[in-house]
Amino acid sequence: MKTYKIVMILLSFALYACELDNFDMPDAALSGRIIDAQTGELVEQDIIRGTNIELTEHGYDPVASQYLIVKNDGTYENSLLFSNTYTVQPVRGNFIPVESQEINISGNTVLDFTVTPYIRILDASVVKEGSKVVATFRLEQNVTNNVRKVGLYVHSEASVGEPLRIVAVENEINAVVDPNQVFTLEVDLPSNSATLQAGEQYFFRIGALIDVGEAKLNYVPAVRLGV
Amino acid sequence: MKMRKNIGAILLVLLLGACSDVLDLEPTDKLSGQALFSDPAGVKLYMANLYYQLPIEDFTYFRNGFRINGGDPNNGGFAPAMQTDEAVHSEFGDFIGDGDFNWWEQSYKLIRDVNLLIDIIPTLDIAEEDRNMIVGEAAFIRAYTYFELAKLYGGVPLILSSQNYEGEVESLKVPRSTEADTWNFIMEECDVAIANLPESWQGGERRGTRWAAYALKSRAALHAASIAKFGNKAPLSGTAVDQKLIGLEASLASPYYEACIEASEAIMNAGVFSLYKPDPASPEEAAENYRELFQDPNIAPMEAIFIKGFARPGNETGHNYNIWYQPAQTANGWPHPGRMNPTLEFVDLYESYDNPGESDPIETTVSGDIEDYNGFDPAKEYLHFSNPYEIFAGKDARLWGTVVLPGTPWKDQQIIIQAGYVKPDGEAVIRLSDQITVDGTVYYTYGGPNPNTYSGFDPFGGNNTRTGFGFKKFLDQRTPVSPGWNQGTTDFMDFRYAEILLNYAEAVLESGMGDATRAAQAMNDIRRRAGHTVAIPLTLENLMRERRVELAFENKRYWDLIRRREYHIIFNQKRMHALFPLLDLRTSPPQYIFVRSFVPNVNPRTFDYKWYYRPIPGIGANELVQNPQY
Repeated sequence: MKTYKIVMILLSFALYACELDNFDMPDAALSGRIIDAQTGELVEQDIIRGTNIELTEHGYDPVASQYLIVKNDGTYENSLLFSNTYTVQPVRGNFIPVESQEINISGNTVLDFTVTPYIRILDASVVKEGSKVVATFRLEQNVTNNVRKVGLYVHSEASVGEPLRIVAVENEINAVVDPNQVFTLEVDLPSNSATLQAGEQYFFRIGALIDVGEAKLNYVPAVRLGV
Repeated sequence: MKMRKNIGAILLVLLLGACSDVLDLEPTDKLSGQALFSDPAGVKLYMANLYYQLPIEDFTYFRNGFRINGGDPNNGGFAPAMQTDEAVHSEFGDFIGDGDFNWWEQSYKLIRDVNLLIDIIPTLDIAEEDRNMIVGEAAFIRAYTYFELAKLYGGVPLILSSQNYEGEVESLKVPRSTEADTWNFIMEECDVAIANLPESWQGGERRGTRWAAYALKSRAALHAASIAKFGNKAPLSGTAVDQKLIGLEASLASPYYEACIEASEAIMNAGVFSLYKPDPASPEEAAENYRELFQDPNIAPMEAIFIKGFARPGNETGHNYNIWYQPAQTANGWPHPGRMNPTLEFVDLYESYDNPGESDPIETTVSGDIEDYNGFDPAKEYLHFSNPYEIFAGKDARLWGTVVLPGTPWKDQQIIIQAGYVKPDGEAVIRLSDQITVDGTVYYTYGGPNPNTYSGFDPFGGNNTRTGFGFKKFLDQRTPVSPGWNQGTTDFMDFRYAEILLNYAEAVLESGMGDATRAAQAMNDIRRRAGHTVAIPLTLENLMRERRVELAFENKRYWDLIRRREYHIIFNQKRMHALFPLLDLRTSPPQYIFVRSFVPNVNPRTFDYKWYYRPIPGIGANELVQNPQY
């Protein structure tokens, strides 16, 4: 009984150790778009293994950077940030790298990045022809590096891309391309009958990869087709 | 009263005596370093603790760390092989996560323990010969430990003597060295070990020897050379890259390949080692030789360079390969067998004896199409077989020694692996429990009436293979499995001669240095041991196939994919493949057909570039530069 009392007293002391969490919850948001400087259009991205936006919060040392994933359509948003000054830079992207910038994030801060994509995919067309899905397109390079490969990627999700596909048809290029050259990629449907089931809808997306370290593919928006 | 006074005075006198060194006693519950290491038994004791901590990727090495064999070490039996293309887990489909393959704190604990020893060596009053052996052994253990760290993290803090805390925590913080300096340190430590270790230990103890040190250098130099040569296939960026904490200059490939060639040659020229049973009379004999080599490596002292022993059943001393990976039929009451499922791409890899130098994928149809994973198609003309293993006839003996093939014997049982059947009316029933009577005989989809009678495809308990293949390598066929934790006592060969030959051949091939004829001979000697009679040329494709086949499931594949920067290429929405054996009841008597399929319920796998280096824990406190993207 005595032991019990002592334990109870000790426990009540232990309760005093607890304080209410005195930190405010994250109250700020950062969002924006990645925009092609020339066309004004969004620069299409990958949802996994894609472009990140690196956020480094000021006032802490050492500090681990946060990496924000960019959505497929080229927009991004993080609505759980603490109000503070941050160094912000898109990294490992599919466009010519841009400088980092210091911004003060509070409330709903909007920050767009105007960039030059490594490759623009022009005159893109994805159509079903008989038992095939055929993609045709041209490439316009904005850097002098080689184009490593082009590909047509298929998935049941709209966020299809090179790292998210159930079927891929790729063509290794490893050369600087002629802007007038028309590329053609074909997915043969019967030989993929288990993955691309007849009567179902799938998303098809054309991508092209520049030969730059850590570069990501450039894309056009995915096209939905029934097979 | 007087008495008391006297006693008081005497006590006082005694107290005064305390000012001498009477109280400077050696503590009786602790041994001084001098006392411990002056006695050979003491050295052994301390060394046993160091070897116990050594990061050997053996039967207790899983994705969640080393020495997973204490108490109830339930990690699902998720071996590193299951995150490569060698195998899948029977139950779990997940891929590498940021929390996997981390070994930071324990490595620096071990390094501290070695450094304490290294610091005390010069003060020991022992014979010069004994001193050298301790110097060599400490260097071997430290090289081994830093090798594991370099593989995981790149450049790491090189702590070369034991640190003392004197109220100043900042002085204990050691920044990361560059990856090049880290590898160079490993090479230097290997050289110290080579120069000082004996060729063998009296009494045959399993301790580091000169040969083990050469073998370690061979493996480590090949790893470093590969990173220098192939690092640009998966470029990374960030502070760690800018400070050269990860990555090696391409120009470093040559010196590291050269170091690998030299270390391997030292072992090849020693005349001490050779392949176990190098000249089998038949493929059947070769298969059995290969299986026995891993069932008990102690039968092959000519091949084993460094063995990790599992001396007795029990926590911290035994292991769990035997219970996790046994076919369901021979689980002997253990409720969770059958976890390791070799994949079809792994089985496809093997050569056939009639077509040397080519992988011979399993053909299941008359048309020979091997790219079709679309499941059973009634319109297709499948090849028919009278038993479920005839389809593997003529394949490399090591397939039979590594994998339990459908219908083959294991522990005096026939292991039944069947995915379903095709009814006489042509309807296929696959991966569903069902039975049918045809001509008075009852047939079951899984080949037997209840879960004790088969080992494949029934999702029951996650105990059955879902790839069509069971696992055999390392398992002891001689005794029934003890159905409890940590009861396995199979010993593990960490370094063996065949690996050294393959390291040598790869270094020669990739660098153009060394003796190409001898390298080709090394590869073909290993193939000869597996029953091949036709030598093949030393090409990258032939050599890498040979390496994957010979060293399968020895926890090498993961590192081969990492160091050659092939992980992100092979694992890009990679879907794993299985072989479904079906009983075709349309024929009489029923025969077997096979369907190449995707492994059911496994998500496509994509390797993230950042995983080439693991995240360093605790950077908020240790203030180290983190690896990219963590």
